[in-house]
Amino acid sequence: MSQSFPGDALDDTPSRPLIAPLAPMLTLREEYVNGSQGFVKQIDYLISEGWIGVRRTRGDGDCFYRSLAFAYIENILNASDTMLAATGALSVLEASQPQLEQVGFQRLVFEDFYDCLAGLINQVISPGPDGQVLNINTLLEAFNNPEVSNSIVVYLRLLTSAEIKTNPEIAAFLIHPETGEQMDPESFCNNFVEAVGKEADHVQMNALATALKVNVNVAYLDGHDPQGKVSFVPFQNAPFTFLEPVNLLYRPGHYDILDRRDADPIPPLFVQ
Amino acid sequence: MAVSTRRLQKELADIKRDGTPVGITLLSAEDFATWYLSVEVLGNTVYEGEKFALKFRFDGQYPISAPAVQFVVDDTYQAPVHPHVYSNGHICASILGSEWSPVLSVVSVCVTIQSMLASCKVRPAIPYPRVRGRSEH
Repeated sequence: MSQSFPGDALDDTPSRPLIAPLAPMLTLREEYVNGSQGFVKQIDYLISEGWIGVRRTRGDGDCFYRSLAFAYIENILNASDTMLAATGALSVLEASQPQLEQVGFQRLVFEDFYDCLAGLINQVISPGPDGQVLNINTLLEAFNNPEVSNSIVVYLRLLTSAEIKTNPEIAAFLIHPETGEQMDPESFCNNFVEAVGKEADHVQMNALATALKVNVNVAYLDGHDPQGKVSFVPFQNAPFTFLEPVNLLYRPGHYDILDRRDADPIPPLFVQ
Repeated sequence: MAVSTRRLQKELADIKRDGTPVGITLLSAEDFATWYLSVEVLGNTVYEGEKFALKFRFDGQYPISAPAVQFVVDDTYQAPVHPHVYSNGHICASILGSEWSPVLSVVSVCVTIQSMLASCKVRPAIPYPRVRGRSEH
């Protein structure tokens, strides 16, 4: 019998979709029932607090950026005033382009990625190439198309990098994740932000939440809380946003999306 | 249109409009799968007077995925003798592997390799590390 580790349920088969449909939190619980009881307790705590759903993402090192992007666009889609939410998001993105150029990224390097992200958000309010406005199904489809999905991840990485390089409050606290040495923004971003597949840590998350002007809450599941409670770490840097916060679920080395629903809604068949 | 084609079209237009940095020349870019560029190391270096050729191969996901880059080894070109270059032309550089970023471009890869060569002050006595057999060209 092989030893079991807390992270065993984080299987990383290529068959896992980049972003999965919403599933009941109980499906995640089942994966831990015969393993770490610390995780089971914490999952029960989340369920008791109303977090009954989870949207799983592939564990490829891009999961934080991909989870955040998906939840961010889904929040725009579900906003009470989608026009206000989408135009607000688009104007934040529009303003991010000069920030990227300011830190030395050529337009050529980022414009295709920008167009991809801005195009998808724009599709919330105006029909895309298929003549349809975005719904949860087409959003899932887009995020499971590697070209679209990875382009969006890359734009968010570049935006994170630009924010780190231009925000002195962040730039002062860059630490090498292994050696603990202080790093300059340029080499930190080269090594731990811009490179595809490099996981995000606290600094990157804070920078991206600030740049996108979105509030993010991260529930940390580590299996270690004696009471089985879960602490939520808030990244609340956007006091004037029209959007609901993005809620993510962290397990060691991986991010998924946390939700108060346990299944995706069925999109309307006809849109007037 | 593949993301790679869109990006490479722009890189090509840029090269045609602005040219390439000194010491770097586009040899051929007949499609969006394989490009060749030559690299010379400027100034007083161990590679003075030598010209090398780099072969770039792109998959449909470039620039999200790294290009495959190696020195051409054929009747015209040899790989430079350098601690990070195998005699069959393969290059050991972090930016072509785990540190690849879509921020990089064909020209910036050439510039990085050019400066990697320029920083080699002493020519290794023997071509190293040796690889047996023919390269795959």
